[in-house]
Amino acid sequence: MDVGFFAQFVINGLMLGMMYALVAVGFTLFFGVLDVIVFSHGDVVMVGGFTGLSMYFWLERMYPHLSPGPKLLCMALVSMTVIALLGAAVARSVILRLRAAPSLNTLLATMMLGTVLRESIRLFYPDGANPKPFPALLPKWSVEYSGLTLRLDNLILFCIGALLIVSVHLLINRTRLGLAIRAVAQDEETARIMGVNFTLIVLVTFAIGSAVAAFAGLMNGLYYNEINFSMGLLLGAIGFSAAVIGGLGNIYGAILGGFIFAFLQTIGAVALPFASAYKDVFAFAVIIALMAWRPTGLIAEKTSERV
Amino acid sequence: MNQPRDFVIPGPVFCIGLAVFAAIYLALFLSSESQAAILVYMAAGGMVLLLNNMSELKPRLSEAIKGNERLCNRLAVAVVLALTAAFHADHYTLFLIGTILLYIVVVLGLNVQLGFTGVINFSCASFFGIGGYTSAMLLSKTSLPPLLALPLGGVCAAVVGSILLLPVLRTSGHYAALVTMAFALLFRIFLEVNDALGGPQGVPVRSMSLAGWDFGSDLVIGDLQMSFYVSYVLLGLVLLCLAFSFVRRIERSWIGLSLDAVRVDETASACFGVDVARWKITAFTIGNFLSGVAGALYAMMLAYISPANFTFGDSLIFLSILLLGGVGNSWGVVMATAVVVLVPEKFQVIQEYRYLIYSALVLLMIVFRPHGILPRKTRIYRPGEAA
Amino acid sequence: MIRHTTGGKNWVRRWAAACLLVALAAFPAMAKQKVAVGYIGPLTGGVSANGLGGRNSAELAVKLRNEDPSAKYEYDFVALDDECKPNIGVQVATKLAADRKIAGAVAHYCSAVALSAVEIYHRFNLPVIVWGAVHPDITYGHDFKEITRVNGTMINQNETAAKFMRSRGYKTFAIIHDTTDYGKSHKEYFNKFITENGGKVLGVFGVTADQQDFNAELTKIKSLAPDVIYFGGLTPLGVRIRSQMEKLGIPAQFEGTSGIKSDAFIEGLGKELAEGSLSFIEGMPLEKLPRGAFFSAAYDNHGYTQPPEAYGPFAFAAMSLLLDNIEKLGPTRAKLIPAIRATKDADSIVGPISFDDHGQNTVAAISKYVVQDGKWVLWEDSEYASGKRSLKKPQ
Repeated sequence: MDVGFFAQFVINGLMLGMMYALVAVGFTLFFGVLDVIVFSHGDVVMVGGFTGLSMYFWLERMYPHLSPGPKLLCMALVSMTVIALLGAAVARSVILRLRAAPSLNTLLATMMLGTVLRESIRLFYPDGANPKPFPALLPKWSVEYSGLTLRLDNLILFCIGALLIVSVHLLINRTRLGLAIRAVAQDEETARIMGVNFTLIVLVTFAIGSAVAAFAGLMNGLYYNEINFSMGLLLGAIGFSAAVIGGLGNIYGAILGGFIFAFLQTIGAVALPFASAYKDVFAFAVIIALMAWRPTGLIAEKTSERV
Repeated sequence: MNQPRDFVIPGPVFCIGLAVFAAIYLALFLSSESQAAILVYMAAGGMVLLLNNMSELKPRLSEAIKGNERLCNRLAVAVVLALTAAFHADHYTLFLIGTILLYIVVVLGLNVQLGFTGVINFSCASFFGIGGYTSAMLLSKTSLPPLLALPLGGVCAAVVGSILLLPVLRTSGHYAALVTMAFALLFRIFLEVNDALGGPQGVPVRSMSLAGWDFGSDLVIGDLQMSFYVSYVLLGLVLLCLAFSFVRRIERSWIGLSLDAVRVDETASACFGVDVARWKITAFTIGNFLSGVAGALYAMMLAYISPANFTFGDSLIFLSILLLGGVGNSWGVVMATAVVVLVPEKFQVIQEYRYLIYSALVLLMIVFRPHGILPRKTRIYRPGEAA
Repeated sequence: MIRHTTGGKNWVRRWAAACLLVALAAFPAMAKQKVAVGYIGPLTGGVSANGLGGRNSAELAVKLRNEDPSAKYEYDFVALDDECKPNIGVQVATKLAADRKIAGAVAHYCSAVALSAVEIYHRFNLPVIVWGAVHPDITYGHDFKEITRVNGTMINQNETAAKFMRSRGYKTFAIIHDTTDYGKSHKEYFNKFITENGGKVLGVFGVTADQQDFNAELTKIKSLAPDVIYFGGLTPLGVRIRSQMEKLGIPAQFEGTSGIKSDAFIEGLGKELAEGSLSFIEGMPLEKLPRGAFFSAAYDNHGYTQPPEAYGPFAFAAMSLLLDNIEKLGPTRAKLIPAIRATKDADSIVGPISFDDHGQNTVAAISKYVVQDGKWVLWEDSEYASGKRSLKKPQ
């Protein structure tokens, strides 16, 4: 295989990894503040994509002459705001209510919530059961070099994704809000005593994580030019896997996990001598093996588990 | 409720009354087809549950059942037999009853893992499937007696499960959840891409036969023609009785105590000399074994299995049955299984919306009634009364 | 009425009899016996567009019959959802077949489901006419008298496809197929026919039926540089593969099977990307059928909003055939099974139906379709055939 094709695989893997990382960041943020797994997160990503698409249709109708740039910006803002509110609502109405219950209940409740979101889109979005075309709004310019197609839109998506993760990172580590989030993550009781509004911080954290997910949904749409109601399930499972192998509660872990998973899938498809259909079997098997080797993820949690 | 205090109905009579009520209720529910009638029955069932919870009947009822557990178990069997007799020619109803019986076995196994020991398992549908595929392969490729497929299905499930033991033992909490979840996803994809096991298409499964008694054709005794599902319901019932008494025995023995200790506090129980790893392995293996056995019979009853029968979503259904019934509570599990299997099947109006409604209900249930229909502290309760 | 009449009893009786007569004459339907017929197809999930189109078409046949005053029975239409999953299919098939009120059924779009359900129909002796599934084994894999099929099989489809592609000068092919029996068999037959006709298969890629990302497979294909990418599978995957091909800049011609011939494929891709995609399907297009216009008009008149899709007319024809037989013989399964099986040259909107000794309709015609300006157009009528537009050039 020559360099061009090899580079193409690397680029495919990077795009995939960025998408997984964006989803995994949400998982890890939620786990950080509340020690919960919010499994509906994958479906929140999907709803984010659909919100963006609806916004697109609305803009098309109201302002048909708007150029793609502002249109996209508008879609992103609306979808991220709506999904942030949705995330906060989920936290308020489900997650916080279940604080006293065993963690399994939360996991199961959020899985059910995911199904509710998925089925609602399928049943109530117009013709929601079919895959929906997603408009290509980014510039289509591309260069071809010995088998490698480098596309500008992919580059833009990747950069914005990276920018988003960096800003979440800065938000958590460099601002007062981030300080409060970290305080809640470390010790809820103490944080409360120090005057941190616990509920508010939890809601804000969920809003942030969900907004990132909304972007992942848009990115998914722009990258594949297609969204469908069922894409959230596997995306959620992969995002969760990525967050866990990276080490829950750690943003770097989530990013690392996302890229590892994408890498495993690509390797599985390219290098497995037998059918490439086994690539997911391969990826998940490696995940299980990794868990046996590093039971709390590659970047282990700093605090010991509370008994 | 205004009966004088000194008039006390004896416990056994209470239990028998309850069983008769349950049998009549289920028979009516199963035989009705008009959606309005089914809605009325569901509402009535809900009302009875609610009234019972509010009235002073409840403590007396649970008292009566606790005091007559043996009788209750027998009554439950009698209710199933009576329903089987009543619906002897009705294929579909019998199929539903058989499905409920086998699902209960799986959830009992899950109960040993999660309810007793606290070992998380998000892949019980996979072990159910391993049992199913074992029986499919054994019956088509070898000439072993079909009955042998049941224990072998269980053994295979337990053996495959042991691959997961190392990561399951080493991890805890959400990390353990991931391991089993990854296995559930992997298992399904593996079945789909693997041609030897039929691929995504699935495989036909030969029917059970026991000493010349062929389970695949209708039973004819004298003038009475019965659906072939009767055989499966009977065998499923036997299986369930065995599994139920096995699980109850474990629960009450010193093993159950050790399992409880491991669940409540691993560190403390290790300090007191309980071998945590050993009991986790035991519970995990028992649970998978039960799932596998049930899966083997389920495959024969279904006559055709495919990877789509054993997805992560199905594992979730088993888990939500357990949660709805009340983790650790065997009778609650029986009730919840009946509800989860029957309601969407009978209440067809909701057709397209059934997943939506089902998941919304479970969600509401977890949020507002987090300990299930029957919490574990009341271990013994109304047998057989469902919906 | 009786209470208010003070006259003689005789008068009352006569009056009542007259009323009854008038009522009988006015509402003949009231006196008709009710018969239930079943339909199974994917009403939810990725291929639900086809399932819903089939359901509407089958239901239309029932509705028309119920509107016909000369019909002997009044028909209840029972539609069940197999979700395109074999296990669910077996469940609903059992449900339908075990219900003695059901006289017969029209079933299955998904081959995987049909293959697993035929045994159930045989077990319960339910006459079933398959309306959309194309796997050969559904009729040829067994000797069950209960099963017949009005649409053709994938064997004919792929033979025509292979010959056609070679005649357009394409030499090298890459095959992507989903790993269901539908996709796998398409791969096999296409592989066979294309090799026989002198084409060359450069690579075969199996993908799972719910895969999202095909970049890895497509990058590999790109390095093989085939003239054509052949895809054996259903619409949702077809949409994804075609659009990701474009993103990777693969210049190959896209060729699908009957599984992508749906309006949802074009909607999913958008006009520009779908343009020039090929599909092969048995039977003639609606406009070319002798009574296609009648079907279209009736379909629209009954207020169906979803399109009937490619197999809707087959579902309509299958249901009509079933109803014709019930009208003739009554709703007895045992009588219906041999009668339906013996169908020869029965008139239908998809042309005359004749079953061979396996219950397979001998549909000879395979239609070739190409997407032109956001529509599936019959190849012969397209601007591609007339030379005004051209497909992707062989490399």
